[in-house]
Amino acid sequence: MKNTVTMGTTLALMLTTALGSAQAADLRVSWWGGDARHAATQEALQICGDKHGHNINPEFTGFDGHLERLTTQLAGRTSPDLMQVNWPWLPLFSPDGTGLADLNEFSDIIDLSQWDATLLESGMRNGALNGLPVSITGRVLFYNADTFSEAGVEPPATWEDMIAAAETFKSELGDAYYPFSASRYNAMLLVALYATQKTGVGFIDPETNEIAWDEATLVDAINFYQSLVDAGVMKSWEQDAAMGNPGLHERGDWASGEIGSSYEWDTTVSQIAGPWGADHPLVPVMAPRIDGAVSDGIFRKPSMMFAISASSPNQEAAAEILNCLMVEDEGVRVMASHRGIPAAASAVALLEAEGLIDANVKAANDLVLAADTPPASPYFEDPAVRTAFEGVLEEFAYGLMSAEDAAREIMRGTEQALRRVQ
Amino acid sequence: MGGSDNRWVGLAYVAPYVVGLLIFTAIPFGASFYLSFTDYPLLRDPIWIGLQNYIELIFHDRTFHRALQVTLTYVFITVPLKLTFALLIAYVLNYKLKAIGFFRTAYYVPSILGGSVAIAVLWRYIFADIGLVNMIITGLGFEAINFFGDPRYALFTITLLRVWQFGSAMVIFLAALQSIPAHVYEAAAIDGANKAQTFFYITLPLITPVIFFNLILQMVEAFQEFNGPFIITDGTGAPLRSTYLVPLYIYDKAFRQFDMGYASAIAWILFAIIMVLTVVAFWSSRHWVYYAGDKRS
Repeated sequence: MKNTVTMGTTLALMLTTALGSAQAADLRVSWWGGDARHAATQEALQICGDKHGHNINPEFTGFDGHLERLTTQLAGRTSPDLMQVNWPWLPLFSPDGTGLADLNEFSDIIDLSQWDATLLESGMRNGALNGLPVSITGRVLFYNADTFSEAGVEPPATWEDMIAAAETFKSELGDAYYPFSASRYNAMLLVALYATQKTGVGFIDPETNEIAWDEATLVDAINFYQSLVDAGVMKSWEQDAAMGNPGLHERGDWASGEIGSSYEWDTTVSQIAGPWGADHPLVPVMAPRIDGAVSDGIFRKPSMMFAISASSPNQEAAAEILNCLMVEDEGVRVMASHRGIPAAASAVALLEAEGLIDANVKAANDLVLAADTPPASPYFEDPAVRTAFEGVLEEFAYGLMSAEDAAREIMRGTEQALRRVQ
Repeated sequence: MGGSDNRWVGLAYVAPYVVGLLIFTAIPFGASFYLSFTDYPLLRDPIWIGLQNYIELIFHDRTFHRALQVTLTYVFITVPLKLTFALLIAYVLNYKLKAIGFFRTAYYVPSILGGSVAIAVLWRYIFADIGLVNMIITGLGFEAINFFGDPRYALFTITLLRVWQFGSAMVIFLAALQSIPAHVYEAAAIDGANKAQTFFYITLPLITPVIFFNLILQMVEAFQEFNGPFIITDGTGAPLRSTYLVPLYIYDKAFRQFDMGYASAIAWILFAIIMVLTVVAFWSSRHWVYYAGDKRS
């Protein structure tokens, strides 16, 4: 009788456990990032896999080419079970909400209460929660404190300060010194920064998905870009291209301090501080403002997200790992702030309590969160919109187009791109 | 019975190739032709739109026209340069020099490395504003050249990368040069022909079939060039699309803008251009390629 009771209890326990968790599964998890993120994520996956009894195969790359790779995998139904996706990619991957799994269906596994409702909204497509935001990211100005101090210039709060700094840089440090740098995508963001500060709205209205600026505003913003080049605040597009388009941290003029500042993602500090290591001179501040600005205007958006493949046969197991990485103590401790300051409330609390948040990342992220800036549209970073904007801006920068023609052409190209992607 | 067995064995031997050909070449070939008449955003089903992609490409798409112009310039500069260089080096390496084996290997190495990502990255540093080439130029007292920022020079850098990979063409030329019988040269020498006359009237005509073969091969490869310009320019074809070859545009349309139907149409236009030029080359070969037993004077 005693044996029967024991066996019955054991069986009941086994059934309960089986109902409460997914079967042991072989999972593929993909992401992009740098070496530090790769190491931390692999370690966290090992811990989470052991905890939940799943075997995990990590697939990681740099950012370049990741979108193309993931798109091909999704089209061929060979995408990883759990994947890191960029926020602007959600409309591409899941236009009607069915391209990726609806994470609401796993709310018994993933503790969604740890996310702010507005933030969860950013991962929704057509009522389905397709992506869970990892963090909020945005652009801030990182300035080289050593260079500015050598020139005897305070970090610029306005663009007038920046123009004045250019003169001092040249007279105090030499003609090779520039207080700022922006070309290619950063030039596009600089134009957007000016127009957003001036109007208080982003280029594309996230409500209507239509262009929110008029042509005159864009003309002003493009002329503003050129005025900074003419004033010696930054190198021209052509001068920047001479280096062979390396990343900021790979540029000799950045490493030597000849470039005083750059408008970068808050989470990239460890990457752009690469030439100096831990004891770097980079300090984050709010982007300079134009005269009469109605907002800080910085580009702020939900950072990368985690999503589960719609075609994955192991969606529950993937949800367990997702929850472990973003909510459970074991995963959160290792992931730390390698993807920015976590969006999950319990994760931030744990990391703060245990002193695991990188002070540099925190300082930059605080600026992003405090900024007065309008919500961004995911379509702003759509590849077709970027091509239309950047390509024309390059022609303007090379003097092949007037600001008026460039603005008209950007508007036309963007409208065409938006019509196609929506 | 035995004959029938042999037939099955034969079919079994060719089966892997036939299956590979069908899956990786023939079916995608046919599928891309069908897709070129559709609007296919990759993650949604294709929609038939008839000739719309081709009409847009041929009559309205300025980016395609620009890419095609750059590609034709690239091909018409690269192919003759590469063939001339390969033939020149093969001619030198055909002499019985000391350590000739080492030199032949050394000159072939760039072909093994040339298409790799590492070399393309290296190229970026060599031609950067503070790179090796500009160090030499400024060291000689000249102004540095903005190879990557000035549209007049950017195409030159990727052209040079391709010309540098002359090894495979060189090996084919070398084999052709070695197959010319020595007695032909001896007869020319007895007739008093000098080096230049021997080269232009003996060597060149005798290797025209190989020149023709290399010409077709190199032309087709040059039209499909992707790695070098993609890595050197970060996939942008910068500056001002001066290095934006058609394969880069196909890639952008297919995998960055997810317009697979349009990308397929570009690929088919590129295919048609290569076909036409190949047919022209074959037609012209009747006038300048000489085969063994040729009765022409």
